[in-house]
Amino acid sequence: MGYASTIKVPFGPQHPALKEPEHFLFEVDGDTVVNVTLRIGYVHRGLEKGFELETYNHGLYLAERVCGICNIAHTVSYTQVVEELMGVQIPPRARYIRTIVAELERLQSHSLWVGIVAHEAGFDTLFMYVWRDREAIMNLFEELTGGRVLHAINTLGGVRRDITPEWETKLRKGMDSFEERTKDYLRIVNSERTFLKRTSGVGLLSPQDAVKLCAVGPTLRASGVKEDVRADDPYIAYDEIPFNVVTSESGDALARTVVRVEEMMESIGMIRYALDHMPSGTIKVRPPKIAPPGEVLSRAEAPRGELIHFGRSNGSAKPERYKIRSPTLANIPALCKTLIGVHVADIPIILAGIDPCFSCMDRMAIVDRRTGEKREIEK
Amino acid sequence: MIVYDLFFLLVFPGILFLLCLAFFTEWVDRKFFARIQNRYGPLYTGPSGILQPLADFVKLLSKEDIVPRAADRALFTLVPIFYVTLPLTALFIMPIMGETGLIAFEGDLIFLLFVFGLMTIIIFLAGWSSMSRFSIIGGVRSALQMLSFEIPLGIVLIGPAIAAKSLSISGIVQWQSANAAWGLWLQPIGFVVLLTCLLAELELIPFDIPEADTEIVAGWRTEFSGRKLAMFRLGRDLEVVLCAALAASLFLGGAQPLWLIPPAVVFLVKTIAVVLLFSFIRSLFARFRIDQVIAGMWKYVLPIAIVQIVLIELGVGV
Amino acid sequence: MSLVKEALQQLRKKPATKKYPKEKASPAKGFRGIPVWDMDKCLLCVLCQNACPPAAIKLVGKGREAEISFSMDRCMFCAECAEACPKGAITMSEKFELAGTDRGEMVFIFKKKPIAQEQK
Repeated sequence: MGYASTIKVPFGPQHPALKEPEHFLFEVDGDTVVNVTLRIGYVHRGLEKGFELETYNHGLYLAERVCGICNIAHTVSYTQVVEELMGVQIPPRARYIRTIVAELERLQSHSLWVGIVAHEAGFDTLFMYVWRDREAIMNLFEELTGGRVLHAINTLGGVRRDITPEWETKLRKGMDSFEERTKDYLRIVNSERTFLKRTSGVGLLSPQDAVKLCAVGPTLRASGVKEDVRADDPYIAYDEIPFNVVTSESGDALARTVVRVEEMMESIGMIRYALDHMPSGTIKVRPPKIAPPGEVLSRAEAPRGELIHFGRSNGSAKPERYKIRSPTLANIPALCKTLIGVHVADIPIILAGIDPCFSCMDRMAIVDRRTGEKREIEK
Repeated sequence: MIVYDLFFLLVFPGILFLLCLAFFTEWVDRKFFARIQNRYGPLYTGPSGILQPLADFVKLLSKEDIVPRAADRALFTLVPIFYVTLPLTALFIMPIMGETGLIAFEGDLIFLLFVFGLMTIIIFLAGWSSMSRFSIIGGVRSALQMLSFEIPLGIVLIGPAIAAKSLSISGIVQWQSANAAWGLWLQPIGFVVLLTCLLAELELIPFDIPEADTEIVAGWRTEFSGRKLAMFRLGRDLEVVLCAALAASLFLGGAQPLWLIPPAVVFLVKTIAVVLLFSFIRSLFARFRIDQVIAGMWKYVLPIAIVQIVLIELGVGV
Repeated sequence: MSLVKEALQQLRKKPATKKYPKEKASPAKGFRGIPVWDMDKCLLCVLCQNACPPAAIKLVGKGREAEISFSMDRCMFCAECAEACPKGAITMSEKFELAGTDRGEMVFIFKKKPIAQEQK
């Protein structure tokens, strides 16, 4: 009887490297990963069915709870779908406030991610420093929206709370100090030699593979492909705010880090521009209760990539069908491709590189063993 | 006289003192590491959290001790015991009370190297006997790491021995006080290399690869729980004290009387200084990968250690 | 070695963590904590019950003796009830330390004061 030359190392559902449960089964030969099998569906919650049972107003709160860290992107996308179905135009001031809050959320999400990737590389000090500075943004959110994580500021027809001059002053000061810290992090990430040794050249994804495997978001942009929903298909106020789409040519974990940190700098600039050019006026209009029949597909740029919401109405007060495709699901095939042939020690850094948010992503596949046909139940 | 011997062996500078010193250094390390990261560290147990390591130890003693079904029972139970007793034995040769250790003989430096090698074998056996995928990988990585740092460590430890013409740690301490010079400025390259190799021996960041918690859960310590885990933590603290005492004795002068201050206090201050140095380096870097460690150690650290020996042979730093 | 200067600077600064529970961070103004009903203003009009997404608010009973039964364990802290109330009788307080061990403690009943007391 021979012995297998590879051992199977399971990563998850519970594992210190994963913040949310998914199952990766690695076949490791010595120190090199030879094969990876993926099994998802551990946090499937049946949300898409839940949307069909709630009115549009209540469904907004369900959309917010799809993901805690990108909840603004989900509510922006949801309100865009429903407002388009109902034929409601939101006032310009509401569009700008939504943009500011969305960019603040991008700052908060990317700085959380920088801390996570530092922790996966064993660089705990940077993790502590970044999360300490992130608290400033959480406090800003608490003052504006009343909640640190789940903001509930978007509503059908506009936003619920207005920006006061005091909050605007605090925001400007907060942005100035956060910009100093972000420049510092950019310097550390680019110059700390142990960190560079762990992330440079690790998890290479070529541009052709990235496009073929439908990668989205910073994962795609770090491979040199210049695609961003905010620039290609502008929504809320992005057609009036100038910004650069940040790309990098290397396609490795270091490129993904640098792309995200530079996107943070861009977001700070966008927030300042939006504050300077804020139109005055009302912040919401009253939407009708019932949406006429129709179908709408809306895209948003969540911090993790392109987020798609689709809604279909049949003229009643509840949607007939609602579907969400979150960016992490689109990045998973690219992730599996980059995981082949790396050292075991690189696995957490590559896993963290796509910024996984498994709670947004889950779907379940049923395979009928008798006929071999596969049916997919979406989340 | 036998009462004196028993006192020295069991209380000071024997087992009780060493255990207290181990817990104290763990507290110092955790507080310093926390302050660098802008947080408090242990705070509530005892004044300023000083009893926290003891509280952790006692808590672990009371937890359930689970032995995996596939594990090798005899080895699995023996390994934690060896892990505690080996550094404790090695600490007896360190000069703490005066310039001679409790047990001093020509060649106890070689004995120390032997203990270091045994400790790594014990770690490998800990990983192997657990028979879990993560612990096997951790144990193998630990053995690989030993392959990389052991030769530079041996070379750089011989440096002061050549200068002092004695293979006994006590002899080296006496030579430093007789010449009123510390190894630190006589052989600075040796000190830097020694620090690097000791960090690799203690498995601290940037060399904490065998127990990288984000990759392989807890490496070779994964399957241990309860009393065995308590023994591992205690053994780890004792190892830190051992390595700090080694660096302090060989390069910082060790337990020398300084004006009116007794040598034991001087020894404590120097050991804690080295522990603070370990903590500081620990907070600055990310973790390396095992192949980078082996390549780096053989390509850079070993030549530098050889350069140090060549310098000593040429008469610099004697 | 790029963190050396910053690490040494942090040693002199006060830590960024608060010693909870001895020192508590106070929530900002406008924080959405647990909602509180002011029954003097309440009309018992049912609009808050319709607005609540997780159905945490129930109007039990009829007429002036009806009471508002609020289950804190279902509440999402979304403030839809505060916005829906035509008289502004609901305010989102600043309490957020609401954990408990008994499910029965999680239901709050708000009743209007009897007429005799009000006329005084």
